[in-house]
Amino acid sequence: MTPSSTTPETTSHPLRTPGPTGEATAASCAAEVGEIFARVFGILSEWREAIAGASADRADLDELVESLVVPALLASAESPTDLASATTESILIGAGFIAAPQYVTGRDTHFAWWLGPLASNPLLGNTSGASRLDLATRVHTEYLRDFRDLEWYAVPESTNQTHVTGPYVDQLCTCDFIITLTMPVRLDERMIGVVGADVYVKRLEQVLLPHFLALSGPVVLINQVGRVVISTEPTLPAGDILPNRRHPLNNYELLPCPGTPFLVATRAEHDPVSN
Amino acid sequence: MKAQLRPGAREAIFAQLIEAGRAEQVARRLTDAIILGVLTPGERLPSEQELARRFGVALITVREGLVILRDAGLVETRRGRGGGSFVIKADAPHGTLLEARLHGLAQVELSDLGVYFSTIAEGCAERAALRASAADAERLGAWLLHADFTSTAGARTNAGGFYLELAVLSQSARLVREQIRLQAEFGPLLLLGLGDPGTREQVVRLNGEVAAAITHGDGTAARTLVADQVLLLGEWLLIMKARIERGGHLDDAIVDDA
Repeated sequence: MTPSSTTPETTSHPLRTPGPTGEATAASCAAEVGEIFARVFGILSEWREAIAGASADRADLDELVESLVVPALLASAESPTDLASATTESILIGAGFIAAPQYVTGRDTHFAWWLGPLASNPLLGNTSGASRLDLATRVHTEYLRDFRDLEWYAVPESTNQTHVTGPYVDQLCTCDFIITLTMPVRLDERMIGVVGADVYVKRLEQVLLPHFLALSGPVVLINQVGRVVISTEPTLPAGDILPNRRHPLNNYELLPCPGTPFLVATRAEHDPVSN
Repeated sequence: MKAQLRPGAREAIFAQLIEAGRAEQVARRLTDAIILGVLTPGERLPSEQELARRFGVALITVREGLVILRDAGLVETRRGRGGGSFVIKADAPHGTLLEARLHGLAQVELSDLGVYFSTIAEGCAERAALRASAADAERLGAWLLHADFTSTAGARTNAGGFYLELAVLSQSARLVREQIRLQAEFGPLLLLGLGDPGTREQVVRLNGEVAAAITHGDGTAARTLVADQVLLLGEWLLIMKARIERGGHLDDAIVDDA
């Protein structure tokens, strides 16, 4: 499936219910998604600059990454940041820098990665603050052989572009449904690693659902392969793929979310106005 | 034997106990941790006071639990400075740990374990077939192609990995967590049969067929194939249980890592 060529103009809906930010349309939903991800990309690119300009000493690097990412993970109503403006918790559940082999002296792929508070994770226990990812507690991922083969590392490495992985259930860090954003960090011609952030889908949903529900018909946020992120169509829940047997693609109009690989799908038959 | 083990978070081993039969529970929890490799051969256990605090039980209960472990030959106690309870060394006779575990579980518990694991794995496989994208299926196939099933240790790591991948492809966070938890708790037992080269071959063949079913979006086939595979592994559990109860030992070929 490729992004629809439909333009925002042809799919804009007339006002039915006022949304939280005024008129809610498929286009306003797509714009909201684009703005949220643009903020995360903005933060990643700040981190990238700081890391590229810093020393490769392991202790220094870890300290720097921690000072960059932990505030973004702990963003709350008490200490608001841009990311938390629409919610009481950060939409980020993990963030950090994964260094390419040999960049950090004497190490394989080096993880300087922190997890946000995991309130009720039955597997990993409860953590109230940010905690550092300790791969020694993730022995179940030993079969993965080489983390550099995973999409969130391999794609930015080969394309030199920012990449969005997911939504998917991550078995390495959170054991939850997330979207991973990764950006290559380069020093001259060499990629020294990726900076990344994990967007917690359940918190993204808290931010976006009011916008989506403001439309009377179904609104489904999907990625480039049609994987559902958030949906107001009960028969097309998160994790499903659009199209499927029950939901053929021609029932939906697709609108790209600017600057992201995501699309907002709205059901064509529910739109009483045909342009 | 470290390579085939997939312990969960170390902290979980010491979480508080809540029900009756606490000394047995202390023994079972520590036995599991030793068998899983969370507590490593030769490692000193936390002090009796510390164990009592972490399990939330009386000191006497911890002592009773440790007696059970000593009797099973899993820990040894050393007196004096630098003393305490130590996990038996790695050079202990092969299979001691798994034999203790198999002896400790009734047949009815072992077969029930098979039913439960199968139900979870079948559900993962069926959902995976319905939900995997073409790229997902391709990645699974590519991983499988290079996954080593020729050695016992490799087969155990990768068989566990395959079940976890099926859970990941199901897109269910709960199923992923349950799969990780089940493997941490019972992985070494469940995958015991992979010590047998013939079983490894069958598992490899079935893995390929499961991956093909997922590629074709055939949930029913994926479910049936995974059920067949777990049945195969479950049979080994009961064969080994009977062997041990007859006074025999696990075949060296079954527990050998090579």
